[in-house]
Amino acid sequence: MKFSRNWLADYVPGLAVDGAELGRQITMRTAECEGVEEHAPQLKDVCVARVESVEPIPGSPNVKAVVETGRYGRKTLVCGAPNCRAGLLTAYWPLGIKKIAGVDSEGMLCAGDELGINRDHNLIVELSDVAVGDPLPGLVPDAVIDIDNKSLTHRPDLWGHFGMAREVAATFGLPLQDPTDLSLLPSGEPQVKVEIEDFTLCPRFSAVVFENVKVAPSPLWFQYRLQAVGLNPINNIVDITNYVMAELPQPMHAFDADKVPGQTLVARAANAGERLEALNGETYDLDPAMIVVGGLEGPLAIAGIIGGDPSAIGDSTTRIIFEAANWNPALVRKTTVKLKLRTDASMRFEKSLDPENTLRGLARAIALMKLVCPEATLVGGVADVRGPVTAPAPIKITMPWMAKKLGRTIGQNEVVSILEALGFGVNTASREWEVTVPSWRATKDISMDADLVEEVGRMIGYASITPTAPRMDVVPPKINRERAFHNGLRRRLTNVGFTEVHNYSFVADAEARKFGFDAADHLRVLNPIAEDQALLRISLLPKIWKNIDDNRKHFDQFRLFEIGREIHKRPEGLPDEVPHLAVVVYAKDDGVAGLNQLKRAALDLVPEVTFQPTTSVRVFEHPARTAQVMANETLIGRLFEFHPDFVEVGRAAVLELNLRTLEALANARKTSYTAVNKFPSSSFDLAVVVGARASAGDVAQHLPGAQFIEDYRLPDGRRSLLYRLTISRPDRTLTGDEVTAERTRLIEHLRAQGFELRA
Amino acid sequence: MEQLFAALEGGLERLNSAPNPEALEAVRVELIGRKGLIAELSKGMGKLSPEERVATGKKLNEAKQTLEAAYEARHAAFKSAALAARLETEWLDLTVPPSGLAPGAMHPITQIQTEIEELFVSMGFAVLDGPEVETEWHNFDALNIPPTHPARDMQDTFWVEGGHLLRTHTSPVQVRGMQTFKPPFRMIAPGRVFRNEEVDASHEHTFSQLEGMMVDRDVSIANLTYFMKTLLAKIFGREDVTVRLRPGYFPFVEPGFELDIQCMVCEGSGCPVCKHSGWVELLPCGLVHPQVLRMGGLDPAEWGGFAFGLGLTRLVMMRYAIDDIRWINSGDLRFLNQFGGPRA
Repeated sequence: MKFSRNWLADYVPGLAVDGAELGRQITMRTAECEGVEEHAPQLKDVCVARVESVEPIPGSPNVKAVVETGRYGRKTLVCGAPNCRAGLLTAYWPLGIKKIAGVDSEGMLCAGDELGINRDHNLIVELSDVAVGDPLPGLVPDAVIDIDNKSLTHRPDLWGHFGMAREVAATFGLPLQDPTDLSLLPSGEPQVKVEIEDFTLCPRFSAVVFENVKVAPSPLWFQYRLQAVGLNPINNIVDITNYVMAELPQPMHAFDADKVPGQTLVARAANAGERLEALNGETYDLDPAMIVVGGLEGPLAIAGIIGGDPSAIGDSTTRIIFEAANWNPALVRKTTVKLKLRTDASMRFEKSLDPENTLRGLARAIALMKLVCPEATLVGGVADVRGPVTAPAPIKITMPWMAKKLGRTIGQNEVVSILEALGFGVNTASREWEVTVPSWRATKDISMDADLVEEVGRMIGYASITPTAPRMDVVPPKINRERAFHNGLRRRLTNVGFTEVHNYSFVADAEARKFGFDAADHLRVLNPIAEDQALLRISLLPKIWKNIDDNRKHFDQFRLFEIGREIHKRPEGLPDEVPHLAVVVYAKDDGVAGLNQLKRAALDLVPEVTFQPTTSVRVFEHPARTAQVMANETLIGRLFEFHPDFVEVGRAAVLELNLRTLEALANARKTSYTAVNKFPSSSFDLAVVVGARASAGDVAQHLPGAQFIEDYRLPDGRRSLLYRLTISRPDRTLTGDEVTAERTRLIEHLRAQGFELRA
Repeated sequence: MEQLFAALEGGLERLNSAPNPEALEAVRVELIGRKGLIAELSKGMGKLSPEERVATGKKLNEAKQTLEAAYEARHAAFKSAALAARLETEWLDLTVPPSGLAPGAMHPITQIQTEIEELFVSMGFAVLDGPEVETEWHNFDALNIPPTHPARDMQDTFWVEGGHLLRTHTSPVQVRGMQTFKPPFRMIAPGRVFRNEEVDASHEHTFSQLEGMMVDRDVSIANLTYFMKTLLAKIFGREDVTVRLRPGYFPFVEPGFELDIQCMVCEGSGCPVCKHSGWVELLPCGLVHPQVLRMGGLDPAEWGGFAFGLGLTRLVMMRYAIDDIRWINSGDLRFLNQFGGPRA
């Protein structure tokens, strides 16, 4: 929302600060100023000039004009506007000398856009009743203050200059001047019939009729004001509706009264199948969830959003109906979403505008008509229909409560004067004050005591509140064990060379398919950014694979991991979000070292871990290099090398663990101490001969406590697995016979299990 | 005997000129070994008269000491020469980089998140998690954002099957916190959030936030400012930071603020980083809206609180001057490996 400093100053006599300072103060007290820009600074140099003579320039569409500027003397210049003619009073801008079409042009004659008045570029401005050499009447340089719309979401009153002027007046302790004169509203029988079908759709509808209207461009000063805040001047009637919208703010609409059948306007829900050709040239299909201003023969306007073309103001219009209504904000908003059409009016209505403003809007339109369309005459009285009104109950506050919330003491008089400057009524008769909320703040913004803390706080300035540590109980917080566990994993993995990545939660249908996952198992995003981001991951692996594929272009070897959530659908309620860990080693080798590193990492993370061969492999897993990762009989994850179809260059080993299962194990695990044996221990080695594709894990389970020494390939292709056993007793030294006996016992046990021992 | 003495005479010369430790040892054995010349001569002394014995014994003793000293000196010389030679051959180029695995890096988001978690835990805040797929009620309604509220436009939402959504902020964890803890309590909730936005250098659909909330009987704006200053001083590694509160609108706080920090590049005098305002917008905060307390099952007449939201992704980008937000979730090790240095 753009605010003109000059426009604001109209309502705050005595305002002395420039636009930049105004922007700063508004930021600190009211809403975020995103920038302040000078508007039409050239106007301080521009003056009225009369064209004395015009002569053509051979070979150029331009003319050479001699102008009398008064202030700058007589100038010769080149002008391209077709309306440049002797005797014309127009605007001159001294710009120095520039050669155009072979002529030294001493400055320029200006079109509307060059002066920031409107968007006309073709014709230079035409002035009347002005003296040569004078500044252009009513046109002075301005500053435009751009306020972030988001910071005005809750403040319907600030979508107009008068509302912001109230803030400015309160900020600077200056008086506020209300431009509205309700006594201008005519009495008598209205010449337009207004009906409201349902007050929840339309809390209030007011209208008035003008005759003898002459549709024409607005005076330049009027256009200039609209242009400064980004509203495009159109004609005097439409400009008035925009002016009142940008002032009070009350969006209005003007109908050509001769195109309103039966002089009747009905605020109602649209009927199914109704259509309207709107002012923007588009035709909209309406439905019963939308509100329209209907006539006797169908819709005339989409309520609060846009008018219809058939009843639009045109050059031939002589009778008009000014409509100022109040619409249901939620319905307006829903309709804008459905029609994909947001307008300056709808943006305001969806903020919950003040219903009191409809009559104020008409009063302002009547006053402005006298200025920009003086020929027009009011006919009949004001039509005004409104639903039942219940005034909000006053808000009760006490001073100690206010001080407690602010965290500083504050004088009663200061609070009263702040609230009154902002339009609140304050009754301080009892200890519990009663604060009455003004209508323009009561629609949604302010309803309770906490709201008043903000009003007072922002006006005294938050900088006046000294940061203070609270008085609070000293209680150690509950530890988030899951997070502590994950952070521990992160530390261990980074310490041994793995780097953490964060991946997106979105996967594509094609990605899921590639990994053999069923798209139907995924939770689907209904409005994805792109079709390839429509599913929520049920596995970290598709994106982990992408990490591998991306990074192998830059590195011959790397190690990475991710801790992230898998999202699994459930029949009801929220999905199950299961934390998982994926660890990767990539290298351009035979892959053995990578798998070994991951086994090492798994052991470091889960001391009880074992690896169990499996024949049930997934499509992306190397069929001969995949194992289930177990801990105490519980499946906790998988260890595998990516299938060569997935990783064609180099090898990528992956360890994938379910962290929920793992955390339960970790929580159950206890570190315990056994006294160190004072008596010497004895060791002996056992070599177990197994087939080429046997599992060492099967041997190890029969040799608890044994240390694995090596895996040696015999000439016949079988393998010899060498284990070292170390035995001792807590109370004495073992004899040689005892050691031999234990060795024999183990050998026999292994043989009984069908293992062959090497001599 | 005379012959032997003659041999002794030349012994000193032989020890001193032994060419290597082996030759030296041979001469030592021959002269002063247990069965060497001296020992041999000592055995022959029994045949001498007592006078001769004294004189010869003395002579032998002197000769032995002389030879032993010569041997020791020569031996030490060989040893130190050998050591010097060994040390010389053991020269190593210690400027060669080490082999073996270098530590990896934690993600910069993890790092900053952990730092802030540690700070808040030290001040008695619990760390809470919430789901990434949230109910509409937790994400909006309970935070005083009813369905038709224009504030819903401020956060472009990903909707998923079943009427749920991807949380647009970490604020729903406020509600979960109120449902979990008995007041008074303090909590933070870091995590991933999602907005339906096109990705470019400064916009991401997936980023990290950290929510904070304190609920107690008397919580004031002054208390909120205190915690925010403490937080920011820690984050930016300063004794003190200059902050300012200004009005900001968020439906779940009342009053609501934007907290700005004085620009650390220009110290407030204005520069491109702060768009010449001297201030950088950092975190939205406010006193918890009474309606939100009610939704969380607390009586606003009894309890109050403050809440704030910190953009962790933004903080990481500020701290390291990262020019493109897309690096954060890129998984690109050329980027991520830069954050592996040991933490202070």
